[in-house]
Amino acid sequence: MRASLFIACYNDSLFPETGRAVTRLLERLGVELDFHPGQTCCGQMHANSGFRAEAFSQAKRLVRLYEKDEIVVIPGSSCVAMMREQYPGIFQELGNESQRQELAAFLPKVYELSEFLIDKLQVEDVGAYFPHRVTYHASCHGLRGLHLGDRPFRLLSKVRGIDFVPLENMDRCCGFGGTFSVKNPEISQAMLTVKLHDILSTKAEFCTALDNSCLMHLGGAMHRQYAAMRTIHMAEILASTEDCPTEVLT
Amino acid sequence: MTAPVQSRERILSRIRTATASVSAPANQLADVYGRVARTYVRQGKLSNEKRLELMTERLREYDAGVVEATPAELAAVIAGQLESSGKRIFVAPAGLPKEWLAPGFDWKIDEQLTSAEIELTEGVVTASSCAIAESGTIVLHHGPAEGRRVISLLPDWHLCVLRASQVVETLPEYFDRFPKAPPLVTWISGPSATADIEMTRIKGVHGPRFLHVIVVRDDV
Amino acid sequence: MSAAILDPKLAPPFRDAVLPVLRNPMLRKNVAHATQVIQNKRAKLVAEKTDWQELRASASAIRTHVLENLGAYLEQFEERCTAAGGVVHWASDANEARAIILDLLRQENATEAIKIKTMTSAEIQLNPYLETAGITVHETDLAEIILQLGKEEPSHIVVPALHINRSQVREIFSRTMHLENLSDDPKALTAAARHYLREKFLRVPTAISGANFLIAETGAVAVVESEGNGRMCLTLPETMITVVGVEKVLPRFQDLEVMLQILARSATGERMNPYTSLWTGVTPGDGPQRFHVVLLDNERTSILARPKERQTLKCIRCAACMNHCPVYRQTGGHAYGSCYPGPIGAILTPQLMRMEYAQTLPFASSLCGACFEVCPVKIDIPAVLLDLRADAVNIERKEAKRAFDLMYLGLRVANTIFSRPWIFHTAQWFGRVGLRAFTGKDGWIKWLPSIGGRWTHNRDLRGLPSQSFHEWWAARAKETK
Repeated sequence: MRASLFIACYNDSLFPETGRAVTRLLERLGVELDFHPGQTCCGQMHANSGFRAEAFSQAKRLVRLYEKDEIVVIPGSSCVAMMREQYPGIFQELGNESQRQELAAFLPKVYELSEFLIDKLQVEDVGAYFPHRVTYHASCHGLRGLHLGDRPFRLLSKVRGIDFVPLENMDRCCGFGGTFSVKNPEISQAMLTVKLHDILSTKAEFCTALDNSCLMHLGGAMHRQYAAMRTIHMAEILASTEDCPTEVLT
Repeated sequence: MTAPVQSRERILSRIRTATASVSAPANQLADVYGRVARTYVRQGKLSNEKRLELMTERLREYDAGVVEATPAELAAVIAGQLESSGKRIFVAPAGLPKEWLAPGFDWKIDEQLTSAEIELTEGVVTASSCAIAESGTIVLHHGPAEGRRVISLLPDWHLCVLRASQVVETLPEYFDRFPKAPPLVTWISGPSATADIEMTRIKGVHGPRFLHVIVVRDDV
Repeated sequence: MSAAILDPKLAPPFRDAVLPVLRNPMLRKNVAHATQVIQNKRAKLVAEKTDWQELRASASAIRTHVLENLGAYLEQFEERCTAAGGVVHWASDANEARAIILDLLRQENATEAIKIKTMTSAEIQLNPYLETAGITVHETDLAEIILQLGKEEPSHIVVPALHINRSQVREIFSRTMHLENLSDDPKALTAAARHYLREKFLRVPTAISGANFLIAETGAVAVVESEGNGRMCLTLPETMITVVGVEKVLPRFQDLEVMLQILARSATGERMNPYTSLWTGVTPGDGPQRFHVVLLDNERTSILARPKERQTLKCIRCAACMNHCPVYRQTGGHAYGSCYPGPIGAILTPQLMRMEYAQTLPFASSLCGACFEVCPVKIDIPAVLLDLRADAVNIERKEAKRAFDLMYLGLRVANTIFSRPWIFHTAQWFGRVGLRAFTGKDGWIKWLPSIGGRWTHNRDLRGLPSQSFHEWWAARAKETK
């Protein structure tokens, strides 16, 4: 099976290890992975800030970039949600018929990582080994936008050595919300305090999720506070094996 | 201020313009309405016995008193309920069956009593029109045997006579039974309550604080 | 207790309005407790219902159908209500509504009125207007009395005094009702209110209410309540004035079979609220013999005209959205500067204000979507928030000062960066180099100047890795050649 990777702008710049983990994982599962070097951003930041015209210019570039691919895999639930939830409206408002047709052809190709593993590859046990205590935060976009449901749990439950502890108020927003934390930093912090309390109560070593935007917010706070926990994208857990345990960058 | 007629025209005209591309022509409106999808549960599945059990359970959750009576014993059961209330002065709707007016109590029959007069009574006895088991709801249509709305509102104690055959399981079933809307309806689901202070549920703010229901087994 | 400003024209921007709230542990505790209680109760009942999603779907469809045919249904309501003895008035805006109501009160020579809680009256700021005209308005909902006597503002549309705890209520009541030995037990406080209101119910001949639903088919009005003060107000007085938004109409009596099921579960976590009353015009001998309905537009028709925004008007004021909102949970209602707080307030208030005020409200959200998930009539609040953000930006963009606004500059620069891969990659390189000075030995950044400080004020940022993913990919491709 061939798939093209959309890594997401923040992963490319800030979390390349997530991309490396996705590559290792999918290639281990027999996927032939492509990567278009011309990719940049899906436009989410601009769309969520009310800058629709700018978001559209990025969106139409992206859609065209994957014209020839059949599958696009994205290790970021917020990017996938952006495409499914906002692209249609933005293309309706600002695009022409031909661009809307391109979009219509593009959307069915898109898979968030856990969707790709469970729905397309139909695999739950990816051969992972991660002997650590782990809790899972359900990013809002993945939970409510993509209805990922139990996919993350099915994948985590098959990881050998994992000590999974459920997170209380798992579905409560971490307070990042992209530009929300920039425009309303105080209330964002209040939400973060409450969320961190729940996460730290699990006494896990790692807090994982399917989106690095939440994780950089949570992880940044953990680091600032010298908390006994760090964040890790689920791809890096799933990529980890006995022979090749996941690199945990300092 | 715009003259009243102008406001009406202005608002309706703005609505017409706003919905021009989506509104149905007048002669099609009923059809379009009929096409609204309704896949929710309309009909209950419980047996008669289970339905009455559920009704009783829900009423008791609201701290309403519930007793059963056969049609033959109804008058006596009413008398018994009135007796155990410890109250003496009761208001009754003008059309309440005469056999229900148990002797030994001070009955005020409501033929346009004043609020001040009703305020002096201690309890009220009414029939009812329907009841919904799922929510423990009693429905009054305020006909002759149920009385004006004020008499089931001011007294502190309300005895409601409910026939088993009047009990349905779901709310849609009530609307099936009464497709033509009565002009006055009161749905009662337990005594009044508030949770306005620290979300602590307190019962009995206004309206009768004590509700007693006699379920008449007219179904057996 | 604060004197909150609930006039959107005067309220501070959301970011500023939340600050005193965030520093008030008692208020935050009250709000968290109240919203959690309703969340839990609602969740239990929703789980019990096998057809919850079907009810939501029908509720949404019925409300959408009404809005699409609003003119026809309003005219039908008017005709039937009038035939049944009611008088229907139409008010284009808040000014007109207030003037109509005052006029009706004057016709009755009324010096007082008893009132059932209605957010619509708060929207048009009715009480202060009537008080100025010499009419004493007696609120009769327990929460509204607490607010009225305590000179406070509502912070929730169903449980308006949820930010006030029992000892605060005790203080208000003992002071204003002159009760010396009043305990702070909610039972005692409620009994005090019951007693205080009883004589008013029996004496005051004029009442003002809102309405939960208007039934077009029969011209009936439905009021959903818990305490019984509604029944008192709509049964005992001689004159009833109901003020209600034009969007509140339902086609048929039967449609209540859906609405009543979802409303109680969503609003208070009950299968059915204690009392629902329905009346049709005037019934001789029973209840008010003079009945007026004031239909209020006040920008609703503007919202109706926008296809994406129209769904805002589906709202049945259940407050499920704010009960589940993680932002509201930390701020309570006052921070929204409107009688409509929370997620629904964030979309309704700016639109009622024609986006001339309250423009920070659409940004008062992390777009988590919890509101949409629980909304019984399926209002896609996040989608409307995004639309209103675009509206706000389109207005702001034209202002000259925005050329120097760091957010606007930053976003324009970011767009350029994302427009071409070579610019993106170059920017990454610059970022790596530029941030090196701020990156500690452990590879983390603890402080950034200017807009970067919005990140680093409470979080560390890991320094940009020396090799991006795309560079790694390219290097790997070279190796394998």
